[in-house]
Amino acid sequence: MTGEMLGFAAVAVVLLAASLGVVLTPNLFHAVLYLAAALVATGVVFLLLDAPFLFGVQLLLYAGGVVTIVVFAIMLTERLVGESIRQTSRYLINGAVLSAAVFVGVVGFLVQMPAIGPRQAWPGELTALLGRALMGPFVMPFELLAVLLVIALLGALYFARSDT
Amino acid sequence: MPLGAYLTLAALVFAIGLFGVLTRRNAVGILLGIELMLNAVNINLVAFARFRTDLAGLIFTLFTISITVAEVAVGLAIVIVLFRVRRTVEADHLDLLRG
Amino acid sequence: MRTGSATLALIVLGLPFASFLLLALVRRLRRSAGAAAGVSITAIAGALVAAILDFRTAVPREPTQSPSTTWAWLPGDGGPMATVGVMVDDLSLTMLLLVTLVSLLVQVYSWAYLHDEPRPSLGRYYAYHSLFAFSMLGLVLAPNFLQMFIFWELVGLCSYLLIGYWYDRPSAARAAVKAFWITKLGDLGFVAGIVMLWSATGTFDFWTLFSMGTMGTLPVELLPCIMFLIYLGAVGKSAQFPLHIWLPDAMEGPTPVSALIHAATMVTAGVFLVNRAFPLFRLTPDVLVLVAWVGAFTALLAASMACVDDDIKRVLAYSTVSQLGLMMAAAGAAAPEAGFMHLVVHGVFKALLFLGAGVVIHVFHTNDVFRMGGLRPWPWTWLPFVVATLALAGVWPLPGFYTKEAILAGVLHAHLTLPFLMLALTSLLTSFYMFRVVFLAFFARPHGHAHTPHVPWLMDYVCRLLAALTLAIGFRMAFFGEHHEGPGWLPAFSLTLAGAGFVLTWAMYHRRVVDPARVAAALWPIDALARRRYFLDAIFAGLYRWVLLTFARLIGWTDRYLVDGVLNVLSAWTLRAGDRVRGLQTGLPQDYVYGVALGVLLLFVLAQWSLR
Repeated sequence: MTGEMLGFAAVAVVLLAASLGVVLTPNLFHAVLYLAAALVATGVVFLLLDAPFLFGVQLLLYAGGVVTIVVFAIMLTERLVGESIRQTSRYLINGAVLSAAVFVGVVGFLVQMPAIGPRQAWPGELTALLGRALMGPFVMPFELLAVLLVIALLGALYFARSDT
Repeated sequence: MPLGAYLTLAALVFAIGLFGVLTRRNAVGILLGIELMLNAVNINLVAFARFRTDLAGLIFTLFTISITVAEVAVGLAIVIVLFRVRRTVEADHLDLLRG
Repeated sequence: MRTGSATLALIVLGLPFASFLLLALVRRLRRSAGAAAGVSITAIAGALVAAILDFRTAVPREPTQSPSTTWAWLPGDGGPMATVGVMVDDLSLTMLLLVTLVSLLVQVYSWAYLHDEPRPSLGRYYAYHSLFAFSMLGLVLAPNFLQMFIFWELVGLCSYLLIGYWYDRPSAARAAVKAFWITKLGDLGFVAGIVMLWSATGTFDFWTLFSMGTMGTLPVELLPCIMFLIYLGAVGKSAQFPLHIWLPDAMEGPTPVSALIHAATMVTAGVFLVNRAFPLFRLTPDVLVLVAWVGAFTALLAASMACVDDDIKRVLAYSTVSQLGLMMAAAGAAAPEAGFMHLVVHGVFKALLFLGAGVVIHVFHTNDVFRMGGLRPWPWTWLPFVVATLALAGVWPLPGFYTKEAILAGVLHAHLTLPFLMLALTSLLTSFYMFRVVFLAFFARPHGHAHTPHVPWLMDYVCRLLAALTLAIGFRMAFFGEHHEGPGWLPAFSLTLAGAGFVLTWAMYHRRVVDPARVAAALWPIDALARRRYFLDAIFAGLYRWVLLTFARLIGWTDRYLVDGVLNVLSAWTLRAGDRVRGLQTGLPQDYVYGVALGVLLLFVLAQWSLR
């Protein structure tokens, strides 16, 4: 067991546990907290995959922004307690079966995949490379993303307006 | 760790997220499930990018993260408006498209 | 064997057609009855002149020379499938004369008889007359079965139109439809026979078929069946049993119409058909025997019904049926010339009988013979009628004597004994019922006091003309005609029958020494049946109603429950399926996610499978 494997195992356990918590806990606020944990764990996975920039982005945007937004939304919609446990078991089992089936389907493809060799090194500093790529070949999607964010902003503002 | 491990992990998280979407009764709960699914997709993308030494996967991930944030914002705005109008956010009561 | 000019024949055909077109299209002409009558009568007079010319200028021809002139009509491979044209031989030349002459006299007579009709109706009447003349002439001149059939149907149409001339009378309308229906039954056989003949031989043309017949190249297996079917057409048109029931009812039409088409011309079309196609009938002796039997039976049946009827026109109608039977019997006995001769002379004196009846109907305003009488002081009312009666009864030297004797001789010669006896009895009855009518309508004791009957001079003169013609034909036959050999005892026999009939009626209806009621009581089964027309009408009506209505109901049921049913079931199932599928649209977003997830699974499966 190399260090890397150990690290991966630990992060994996945390991530999975947090995910299960998100979907199973009856208290919605707890679910959000579990989600925060899952998001951070994902960030660590990114670290393990030699993408420190993405770790940063994940923490900032997801763990910071999304969680904040969701918390506010929960506050505004007030219902916190009384969730999936109290549903009829039919739905739970259906959902579990379908999710399991999807998982099996994906894994079915995974096992047929030819093995990819050991990791190569990045040709240079990753962040710099990302920056140059964003300003270079991917500048168009970058600009369009900006437009999208403006539109989302406007949409949210529109929804949030009062009716007068 | 081989690529397969990362991909399997992502698949698991995805399945768990799907379970959440299908079973949660609160609309916000459903959105949380969607978050998990998108997260799993990101893990997939980064893993592939790393093992194939292709920058495109990472760029893609950046974009999906940004877009997801925007989507969550708008989605929650809709939920809030829905709550204002119908006084409930339970998914079972949102059946106006019925028939 | 002669052939006449085709051009003249076409003129004979064309003049009434032109008259009809003119009257049909030019409304103002038709609405003015006088102009309409003028056009129609002029046309038919011209046709008569052309017919006489054609008859007189006819030239002898070789037996192998075709008397037909035809033009191609329907195309077909290896020559036209059907042709139109004219066949101008002795048969058609004689018929041309008869048809045009009687048509002319009837149209002239109608002007006086129908004088009180509203003007536009009378114009319509003359239009119909022109159409009828054209149709009958076309039938007579037809060189092939197809053309004959077309004109056959046209003639039937004219009969319908003319019987139903007073269309606002329900009885007339019904009679017209009945005539059309019953003759249509016969026509079904006719057309079936023609088509079968065509499919067996490839031609409709008479001359070709006759040649094939003499050369023996006619396919003979189906020929009896074919000729029987063709004969069925004649059964309908010429009112043979059992399709005779329309003719008595056809008396609903105006009396001149009855004189023309139900005595002299249209009903004779069947006999004409048998005569025209005789070279083919000759090859099927079994069918001919049937024709003879049916003819003789019809003659007797109709004569029996004529003896008990009070309506003068209906007696004459039954008489026509009876005489048609006589003509058919002659054809069946392989003596078609005798039958044809009787057709021609019968046409003349039967028309006279009807027109004479029209005179007495006009005087008394009724058809019932028991309400007539007391016309002895005015011979010009009854003399033409009596001349015709003598002709019909077969008294020498009038035409009926010779033709009837020829027919009886022919039947005897063909060894058809029972038909001969039936025809002999018919002769007796013919004389009986005709003189019965004479005595009752003209010589009976008058009711009320007698005053000079007023009859329009036109009607009177037409009757006198026809009587003179009858006498002339009779004398021609007596003193200048060829006499056929028959058994020596035959003339005396037939005269005795005629005389016996006369004596019986004289005793019963004139001198009143024998009570008719007692005679009727003595013969009561036949009397009762005859008065009820042997229930034939009822049988037909019941059969028609039963068969047709049952069939119609069956079709209706099939349409409603099977045809519509299939469609209704399909649409109901579609609606129900739609309702069920609708259940999928719950409106809940999570259910839609289920759907997407299932779709993704499906894609996985498909992808895995295609990767294999």
